[in-house]
Amino acid sequence: MSAVDVLNLLIAAFLLAGIYAAMSVGMTIIYGVMKIVNLAHAGFLMLGAYFAFELFQRFNLDPIIGAVLALPVFFAFGLGVHWLLVRWLPKSDTPTLASLLLMFGFWLVLQNVGYLVWGNTEESIFTPRTVSTITFGEISISTLRLIVFVAAVVSLAVLQFIFAHTWFGRSMRALIQNPYAAQIVGVDDQRTARLTFGLGTAFAGFAGALLSMLYSFDPDFGRSFLLRAFVIIVLGGLDSITGAAIGALVLALVETFSILIVPAGYQPAISFALLFVVLLVLPKGIAGLLQKKWRFV
Amino acid sequence: MAVRVKSPGRIAQIALPWLVLLILLFLPKAGLSPNLLRLLFITAVWTTTSVGWNLLGGLTGQVSFGFAVFYGLGAYTTALMMHAGNNPYFSYFGAAAVAMIASFLIGLPAFRLRGPYFAIATIGVTEAVRVVMNNLDITGGSSGYRVTEEGPFRPLVHYYTAILMVAFAVLVSYVIFNSKFGLALRAIKQDEDAAADIGVNPYLSKLWVHAIAAALTGVAGGVYARYAAFIYPGNVFAFQTSIYILLMPVIGGIGTVWGAILGGVVFGVVEEELVAKFPNVHLLLYGALLIIIILLEPDGLLGLLRRLFRRRRRENPGSGSPDQELWGRGSLKERNV
Repeated sequence: MSAVDVLNLLIAAFLLAGIYAAMSVGMTIIYGVMKIVNLAHAGFLMLGAYFAFELFQRFNLDPIIGAVLALPVFFAFGLGVHWLLVRWLPKSDTPTLASLLLMFGFWLVLQNVGYLVWGNTEESIFTPRTVSTITFGEISISTLRLIVFVAAVVSLAVLQFIFAHTWFGRSMRALIQNPYAAQIVGVDDQRTARLTFGLGTAFAGFAGALLSMLYSFDPDFGRSFLLRAFVIIVLGGLDSITGAAIGALVLALVETFSILIVPAGYQPAISFALLFVVLLVLPKGIAGLLQKKWRFV
Repeated sequence: MAVRVKSPGRIAQIALPWLVLLILLFLPKAGLSPNLLRLLFITAVWTTTSVGWNLLGGLTGQVSFGFAVFYGLGAYTTALMMHAGNNPYFSYFGAAAVAMIASFLIGLPAFRLRGPYFAIATIGVTEAVRVVMNNLDITGGSSGYRVTEEGPFRPLVHYYTAILMVAFAVLVSYVIFNSKFGLALRAIKQDEDAAADIGVNPYLSKLWVHAIAAALTGVAGGVYARYAAFIYPGNVFAFQTSIYILLMPVIGGIGTVWGAILGGVVFGVVEEELVAKFPNVHLLLYGALLIIIILLEPDGLLGLLRRLFRRRRRENPGSGSPDQELWGRGSLKERNV
């Protein structure tokens, strides 16, 4: 393998990492603030993909614009889901099984509504951009992947700005760090939780729309990405956007370079195996890491 | 033990399982349609997995999305052993053994994780195992495997195997629920650290109950494989199978023997009847049912029944939901650090 090949793979991994980070960040903030393992994230990703697909089919709208439109639409959707289901869950500072199973049930509902509406055929969005590449000498980059990468990174930057510089971002961080202390100093935890859920859902829809440009999809689309999101979150620590970015990069590198070693049939197993290995290497997993972090604060 | 005053309710509680078993054993003598026999068989297989899962998920509070692994491994082990010329009943033991070994391989690392993290890890395991099984040569890969058995198809043999299996599963479950081991498991569900403080080894206990649950599920998979005569990874190893196994106890009433049985029976009947009529809607229904159960009646159908009974007998004040520890544990107020 030549140096150019390695470079090409590295670039591919890097571009992949961008969309992976955008895909998992919604789950990260919802977990951080509400301690809910949002399995319905997979359903939101799927809906985001079909959202872009429908806009593309009906109004011939560019999927990038579809992805941007997905943000407000899914924000509202997330608020609705929170109002209808999530707010009834018992408040907790550790993830409860009730929340896990509730979101799992909601995922089942979304997925099967998807099957009812769109059937089980695979769809894909094909634009002139899909096959075009930019070449620098021997290095070639898929235009589409570059665009998706840029969109993902911009969205992450915006989120980081919200996180760092707005009152809402500060209250989110406060709730992530210590829910009791946050409430004592006057953070409205209900309101913040509501908005966080909306924001997380918005990002899931956005990422789903971006993913729809790169992959074909069916109503079961979100499942493999859900597991990847878990790997990323576990790798990166649960509560920060930077962590999600780092985790995404690691996973993208492993997936990209494993093509050289692992037979194609086993390729889908890599992220799942990695999830398990990560949990093994960090014996106490995410929780242990978090505890360690909090003990020294 | 102190002498218990046996109330009529208590006697009914003891007598009912035996009565049901007797009826089930003698039902074929009264003449059953092949359809009904099939329905009862499938229901028994599902109920066995439900009772198995409930030991880990309900009693110990470790929700697993990975029981399709044991179901599938049991099915394939039985198929391969029967192909090699073994007695099917001996093959079931092989299925149980393989499922137990798999449960240790999964549990040793995974039980270092708690609650939802364990659940997430098991999702990863199921998916990975299915991908691997799709690619293995020995199992015929994704094109499936035909189970060979000499002689004509005897539905009654399958029926009795399944009934005895589910009876055995219920017995095992009942014994564990009422044993010291079961008490330890219950303590782990309520608070793992506190359980460890009073001398329970949570890690080992979870490993063992996982193994027992896996063995029961593996045998169920084996019995199903012999009946179906054709298995493929997309069926027995499917994520859906894991979902079904998890849904049954939750629907019926998580954490009680009767809940798991009720859930299995309801699920088996509904599944067999619904799949034919509405092939696309049944998972949607289960999803909605899961949401409703968690938000409104965390103790499932059994909890609903109990509530109806309690309304009649006021002298038995409700001590709150028996699974409060599992569902509503750790509100901000109660769990001051």
